[in-house]
Amino acid sequence: MPSLPHYPFSLHTLDNGLRVVVSEDHLAPVVAVNIWYDVGSRHETPGRTGFAHLFEHLMFQGSRNVGRTDHFGMISEAGGTLNGTTWCDRTNYYETIPANHLETALWLEADRMGGLLDALDQDNLDNQRDVVKNEKRQTRDNQPYGRWLELFHELGYPQGHPYQHSTIGSMEDLDAASLEDARNFYSTWYAPDNAVLSIVGDVETEAALAAVRKYFDGIPAKGSFPDAPPSSVPPLIGQEIRQVVPDRVPVPRVFVGYRIPPFGTPGFDAAEVLATILGGGRGSRIYKSLVLDRPLLQPPDGNVLSPWPFVGGAALLIADLPAREGVDPAELEAAYHELAQVGEVTEAEMERARALITSDWLHHLATVDGRADTFSQFTTLFDDPGLVNEMLPRVLAVTAKDVQDIAAEVIRPDNRVVLVFEPDSQVDAA
Amino acid sequence: MSSNLVDQRPTPAAPRPWSFPSFERREIAGGRVIACHLPGKPLAVVSLVLPAGATSEPAGKEGVALLLARALSEGTTTRDAYAFAVAGERLGASWRADTDWDSFRCGFEAPADQLLAATELLAEAVRQPALEEETLDRVRDERLDELALDLSQPGPRASMAFANAVFTADSRYSRLDGGDIDSLSALTADDVRAFHAERIGPGVATLILVGDLDGTDVDAAGRLVFEGWDNDVKPAGPATITTTGGSRRVVLVDRPGSVQSMVYAGHDAPSRSTPDYVPMTTMSLALGGMFNSRLNLKLREEKGYTYGAFGGFDCRRDGGVFVARAAVQTAVTGAAVAELMNELDTMHEGGLTADELERARSYRAGIFPINFAGPGAVASGLGDVVIHGHPDDHFDRLRASIQATTLDEVNETTVTRLRPDEAVIVVVGDAAAVRDDFSGLPLEVVTDEE
Repeated sequence: MPSLPHYPFSLHTLDNGLRVVVSEDHLAPVVAVNIWYDVGSRHETPGRTGFAHLFEHLMFQGSRNVGRTDHFGMISEAGGTLNGTTWCDRTNYYETIPANHLETALWLEADRMGGLLDALDQDNLDNQRDVVKNEKRQTRDNQPYGRWLELFHELGYPQGHPYQHSTIGSMEDLDAASLEDARNFYSTWYAPDNAVLSIVGDVETEAALAAVRKYFDGIPAKGSFPDAPPSSVPPLIGQEIRQVVPDRVPVPRVFVGYRIPPFGTPGFDAAEVLATILGGGRGSRIYKSLVLDRPLLQPPDGNVLSPWPFVGGAALLIADLPAREGVDPAELEAAYHELAQVGEVTEAEMERARALITSDWLHHLATVDGRADTFSQFTTLFDDPGLVNEMLPRVLAVTAKDVQDIAAEVIRPDNRVVLVFEPDSQVDAA
Repeated sequence: MSSNLVDQRPTPAAPRPWSFPSFERREIAGGRVIACHLPGKPLAVVSLVLPAGATSEPAGKEGVALLLARALSEGTTTRDAYAFAVAGERLGASWRADTDWDSFRCGFEAPADQLLAATELLAEAVRQPALEEETLDRVRDERLDELALDLSQPGPRASMAFANAVFTADSRYSRLDGGDIDSLSALTADDVRAFHAERIGPGVATLILVGDLDGTDVDAAGRLVFEGWDNDVKPAGPATITTTGGSRRVVLVDRPGSVQSMVYAGHDAPSRSTPDYVPMTTMSLALGGMFNSRLNLKLREEKGYTYGAFGGFDCRRDGGVFVARAAVQTAVTGAAVAELMNELDTMHEGGLTADELERARSYRAGIFPINFAGPGAVASGLGDVVIHGHPDDHFDRLRASIQATTLDEVNETTVTRLRPDEAVIVVVGDAAAVRDDFSGLPLEVVTDEE
């Protein structure tokens, strides 16, 4: 096992509630600036699915002192990269820039945190609504198997649960979004006391904090936020839910999802190790059996099983099983279920899993932007930036018995959603 | 309560100087080794780079380089595929083997203190692969399934149609770099073994080690790979590339029921060694390589036709392509193609503005330290230096020449390098819905078999 790096950091809270994490790294003259807002698609109201994400687009359309295309323009001209993403539990915005441009990024982020409404108008909303609808078409509706993600949200959680709809939302709800909705959403959620700002890279902590105060101190705290919608669910689904989806696809593909304990709990950590033993890497049980020994499964690009790190109520563990040409999906599914009954886990399997998880984690934290996002993540979700250094040791402490226990708990017929995509040339390439 | 914001954009401080990480070349056991020490990085990379990419494949054997890359980790003379996988994974090392038009690259990313052990596995895979018939047949069939899946997606399908239309059938560039269904279907185990024997050898290979090398004996790594490895493999000669020629035309690939049309428009382009590479690619950044490029501002931010529009050159050793692309809503396909081509025409005729040049230059020069942030990216850059025969200070020179590019240089090359009148416009979409959208242009409709 390699010695694990310890990343230094300090956490500061401004008077307006903005939490700021600074972590120095002087290996290269670059800095990552990353903001998480504690709002995501799980905070959306019925009839407004997809709104958190649509709103994220509006955050790039200018603010009080920033012109419509200037956010991208100024960071690009500085020689930097930037983007924003939305997921169920959060919305994040980030820039990676040459370190001498730190203040440019801070100024841009502060201007839209405090002054977005000065620039928001109907034209921007209509334009970005069209862009987002095309994003949905490009990444989901016009892709083979494109519905699988939204189906897991729909089937994996009960009606009305905050994870029951996917982040991209529906076309109808996107059409219904109004300028009034956007203004309300911003006023409700976008405030310094609902955000975490992380700065990682070639900066001096005191100077970076002084710059943060210069740009963010003038933004008032909001004080209170609506309670997150209730997300508690029974730990198990309670029945097998199965759906066959005829689609214009070249080969069948089976997805199996289980409800697991939420991200941040020991049960989730154990499920992560379980996923690696079963389906992480070419030395995993599933790869050996279904790719090498019996050619039933198309070799995966990444891992066969992935835990989705939801924090509210329950997370999901999802297996992605594309069939080889000519393979009966029922045979593939049966072979998979047999393997998923893990039985005894050996110490050799645990060692392989620990080594892979360690490298994956080090890879994730290798860049300043990956590290900044992780500092924001742990501070937002668990109020604990130190998890950047402590999360990996925690997962490495999972024992073979923990893995066997979590497998026995969640890998059950009455706790799974099974989606079977079957080729059907009569279906439009929707 | 309203916010009190700073209304003045900050002025940046002076940048800290940056240069591409220094590296050293050694000859070890008759082989070429490049070592680049990046202190403080927990993960390191070992990679073997050879000029054995798609253009080095024999005619009729398209895809064999990629199959070999995949087969290397499928078992050696001393252990089977599973044992090889577990041996690497227990080190925390992840195997990567891939090919592109010009190169064959394989190796590991591994914890820095396991780099030598990973290098030993790399040597075993490259020098003693088992290449058993049953395994090779499976690897080929997996690739065929993967390709069928790729081609069911609009982007890869457009890419293939574009290659088919721009280059003559006897040019390697007319087919996908990983081979197509016909060529892959015909490949045998003997073809893969022959490619290994004819293209993989110490005389054409370079071993690249990047990361915190304090604990790694670089000479020992070189010996593991090169000592006792003996064959007389020579690099393949340049590929012959010819284009179909002709004027602006549309190739419409029918994908019934598509809710978007995938548009790929462009033509052939010069090779990586072209002397105007820097001005030419600086122009294409402003045209379609940045968020605020002309294509994206028009098609996304003004019209809302697409999630994103892009364009740029792909310059390979023996030639290249220029492609502008966007996935656009079906109902606006005709209008979107017209806008996209209008941007190419306008750029061809008028060139860049001084403002655009300044923005593209400063983006491109500034991004170097971010692009080369880790061992993987540095190893990949060093691989490019090897394959294209660049000088050791290539990236620093490149950055300087970007900063020095003038508007005259850029606009002089734009007239000849961007040729919208000769563009092939590939559209993958619902032919019934969009076939009448391309007023006046020659149109060929392609229907895939079920």
